[in-house]
Amino acid sequence: MTTPTACRSLYAHVPFCRSLCGYCDFYSQVLDDAWVTPYVEAVLRELAGYAARRPLDLDTIYVGGGTPTVLPAGELERLLSGLRRYAPDDAALEFTVEANPATITDEIAAVLAAAGVNRVSIGAQSFDPAELRTLERTHAPGHVIEAVDQCRRLGVRRISLDLIFGIPGQTLESWWRSLAAAVAIAPEHLSCYSLTYEPGTPLCTRLNAGQVQRVDEDLEADMYEAALDVLPTAGLAHYEISNFARPGAECRHNLRTWHNEPYLGVGPAAAGYIDAVRYTNVADTAAYVAAVAENRSPWHQHERLSAEGRARETAMLALRLTRGIDCRSFAERHGQDPAVLFGAAIERHTRDGLLAVDDASIRLTRAGLLVADTVIADFLCVR
Amino acid sequence: MDQALIRNFSIVAHIDHGKSTLADRLLQVSGAISERDLKEQVLDDMDLERERGITIKASAVTIDMNVDGRTYMFNLIDTPGHVDFHYEVDRALAACDGALLVVDATQGVQAQTVANAYAAVNNNLEIIPVINKIDLPSAAPEDAAIEIEHVLGISADNVQFVSAKSGVGIGDLIRAIVRHLPPPKGEPNGPLQALIFDSEYNDYRGVICYLRIVNGTIRKGQRVLLMGRQRTYLVTELGKFRPQMSPCDELAAGETGYVVASIKRLQDVTVGDTITDAGQPALQPLPGYQPPQHMVFCDFYPSSGESYDALREALEKLSLNDASFSFAPQHSDALGPGFRCGFLGLLHMDIVQERLERECGVSVVQTAPSVTYEVVPHDGPVRRVESAGDLPDMGMIAELREPIIETQIITPADAIGSIMQLAEQRRGVYRKTEYLSPQRVLLTYEFPFNEILYDFYDKLKSVTRGYGTMDYHVIGYRAGDLVKLDILVNGVPVDALSLICHRSKAEARGRRFLIKLRREIARHQFEIALQAAIGSKVIARETIKPFRKNVTAKCYGGDVTRKRKLLEKQKAGKKRMKTIGRVDIPQKAFMTVLEPED
Ligand SMILES: Nc1nc2c(ncn2[C@@H]2O[C@H](COP(=O)(O)OP(=O)(O)O)[C@@H](O)[C@H]2O)c(=O)[nH]1
Ligand code: SF4
Repeated sequence: MTTPTACRSLYAHVPFCRSLCGYCDFYSQVLDDAWVTPYVEAVLRELAGYAARRPLDLDTIYVGGGTPTVLPAGELERLLSGLRRYAPDDAALEFTVEANPATITDEIAAVLAAAGVNRVSIGAQSFDPAELRTLERTHAPGHVIEAVDQCRRLGVRRISLDLIFGIPGQTLESWWRSLAAAVAIAPEHLSCYSLTYEPGTPLCTRLNAGQVQRVDEDLEADMYEAALDVLPTAGLAHYEISNFARPGAECRHNLRTWHNEPYLGVGPAAAGYIDAVRYTNVADTAAYVAAVAENRSPWHQHERLSAEGRARETAMLALRLTRGIDCRSFAERHGQDPAVLFGAAIERHTRDGLLAVDDASIRLTRAGLLVADTVIADFLCVR
Repeated sequence: MDQALIRNFSIVAHIDHGKSTLADRLLQVSGAISERDLKEQVLDDMDLERERGITIKASAVTIDMNVDGRTYMFNLIDTPGHVDFHYEVDRALAACDGALLVVDATQGVQAQTVANAYAAVNNNLEIIPVINKIDLPSAAPEDAAIEIEHVLGISADNVQFVSAKSGVGIGDLIRAIVRHLPPPKGEPNGPLQALIFDSEYNDYRGVICYLRIVNGTIRKGQRVLLMGRQRTYLVTELGKFRPQMSPCDELAAGETGYVVASIKRLQDVTVGDTITDAGQPALQPLPGYQPPQHMVFCDFYPSSGESYDALREALEKLSLNDASFSFAPQHSDALGPGFRCGFLGLLHMDIVQERLERECGVSVVQTAPSVTYEVVPHDGPVRRVESAGDLPDMGMIAELREPIIETQIITPADAIGSIMQLAEQRRGVYRKTEYLSPQRVLLTYEFPFNEILYDFYDKLKSVTRGYGTMDYHVIGYRAGDLVKLDILVNGVPVDALSLICHRSKAEARGRRFLIKLRREIARHQFEIALQAAIGSKVIARETIKPFRKNVTAKCYGGDVTRKRKLLEKQKAGKKRMKTIGRVDIPQKAFMTVLEPED
């Protein structure tokens, strides 16, 4: 048996939202007060279980969902302070909470600040009211500005905004306006996602039924390129396929994932990666609460990765970063020279101008970023 | 058994007119099966057949029927109802002395009624017209009877009006069978001559041959000779289907039954062959059959995940119980090693393909079906080719001939105009019109087989609002102004996509085909040029723009495994395509030539 490795990152999943958005495939349910207390207790208990078996030396905590900020203030406070107990050094901690602009009340903002949350990630998605309606988001563009102000007033140092492009009906101009509006708020961090039609979501059903129209692929590419072009001029450097940040303000928690380092996940549907095992908790609050209460594992599925599997995942994740695969650290970690292990893929894609390679790193070119999946797939599979 | 008490007959009908229901009703009246079993159609035994509502194999059932105090032996020989299986209908009819021609009283005479009636007449069978479904409110039995007399020239004197479903009229029908259908003739003590009219493979017994004993008597333990194949076998089991297998010791002239003789493979038996005694053979075999003509061909290639050997084994397994399709190794430049398969018709092809996937679990890349063409070279003998890819250089060809079919179409009279238009588009040659009644006509046309190969029947159905029916048979080959249309993907000709068509249609066909192909092939990282060409002359062109974006937006802690699997799956999906040059072509593209034209 391998000894449990220390874990420095924690993700906690809050499976509640005020209402559910048509495009979203995260596990969440409409807030049901009766489940809140059992849920918070179960999370803290699950976490204590991990802590009993391995050192938890957290320096990143990420509370996502769902919508953590829909929790009643008292319960949110209990959850956040309960998580924070495992982070020994306040100064070193990156403590992120995701927020829906419509749910940040003064009271909630105060809870976040008091709990030591120093990074708030706000799902702005768009600054165009019609596009927000298409996404079934309940907030208005103005809510984003208010929410950011509240957080800033209470001393939250880092704000991240999410934007979505490729929304049915969106034009290059309206995307441009959303980017400009986001930049005007001066967030430290900005994520720009192309809309994904996740199987099983209401939006996907509408797409298949022909009720909504996918934006043209060329337009979507133009939108992505617009973000790549304009954001760095506003001081937000591109560092991951969909992420931009002021230098030094990259999301450390997510970098852990992209560096393929371990992290714990707690809460229903949360995923974690410890001791070379990737696991996912059961995506059902009742089942989750029951499992934890009965000292059963809430894991719904898990997979132990082989040495080769780990190496390939390291490559897959690192390629998402603009810095790419760091050849030296890859070789140290996996005992193989990535230039050799991925020789065929590297050759093909450098020839097509999708990869740039030198002694230090292997990374996607600008052209490669747009077709990252095509390139990355060849790093995952032999042949 | 006294021959005077035997009746060998078939029930023939247009599909859905009630052939199976009537057969089951006869079985039930005789007591061979219970009322409850009636729900199951006893004579159809394959799932697939039931699902498609057609019968693939002919089989024979023996029933004891009590008529006016005497026990008769009815041998009921089942026939398939679909155009593709004409050949099997003929085999079954050759074992009969009479036929019941069933016509649905609500539908009247239909195309396959005509075809079946002609087949029965050609086999010199006595025919009893049976008007079925008289229980239905919309039934018009008298009209149907008049149509039979009028169009088929069959006297309406013996017409029987029945409801196979309720049983009305069945007693009279049985008496008519006894009275009007002739008993078999034949010499029970003469030299053995038995006709193999069908065969079937059984996992436990090997090959089961269905026999009609024409002369002599066959016995258990007898050493017999298959006269065509010149091979001898020992008869290990004889019997009849009642409808379960029921062994007996001998079958005499006039009787119908089965024989098991440790024959291992269906291919070892030629249906139509004569069985005789190995020691005292008959002087000559019975008149045989024309072997089935494979009119439609296509290639099966293993999908990239599958092996060639698995496909070969699957085809061998299927041929165990369907001797009517052929397969032979074939190599395509684009698709590698595979098999060229011959079928009786399109439906037959679909059935085989479906059984491959369903029963054998192998997935195949199937090329568009083609008819056989005759190539007349400048020098050398005429030969047949089964696909455009097999054509020699066009410069060497003096003449290219295509198969011609004669089609009988029955339609409401008000659709004649639309049918004529459709026929013109398909290079049809009008032959004649016969009025069944003022409202319904029988049209006879000749078409190049190629022109009705795929959607003609659907088109016919749509212009006749569902009322049109058709039947066809091949009447020969005829020279035509035919060209070979090549399809090139990024400059590489894809042999499996090339096709033969009439010159007047080549350009339009090529253009439409490329448009369809463009939809089937996903964007790649590079531009793809699609071209259609006759010889070196490009007659149509399409391009597929390179894709610009293929990237997963989110990949966070919770997504890693799922995204990895998704990418792996995408990659595996590519494996199921055929890569030509650097272009991945999905299997469906190879069937695209088939899809409706307009
Ligand atoms: N009402 C009525 N329906 C019948 C009769 N005979 C057959 N059918 C129905 O017609 C359909 C086709 O009959 P089937 O025997 O399968 O036709 P086949 O294709 O000629 O074998 C079935 O739904 C039968 O139940 C009948 O006498 N009366
Ligand atoms: S997008 Fe956010 S708010 Fe909407 S359902 Fe998903 S988790 Fe809840």
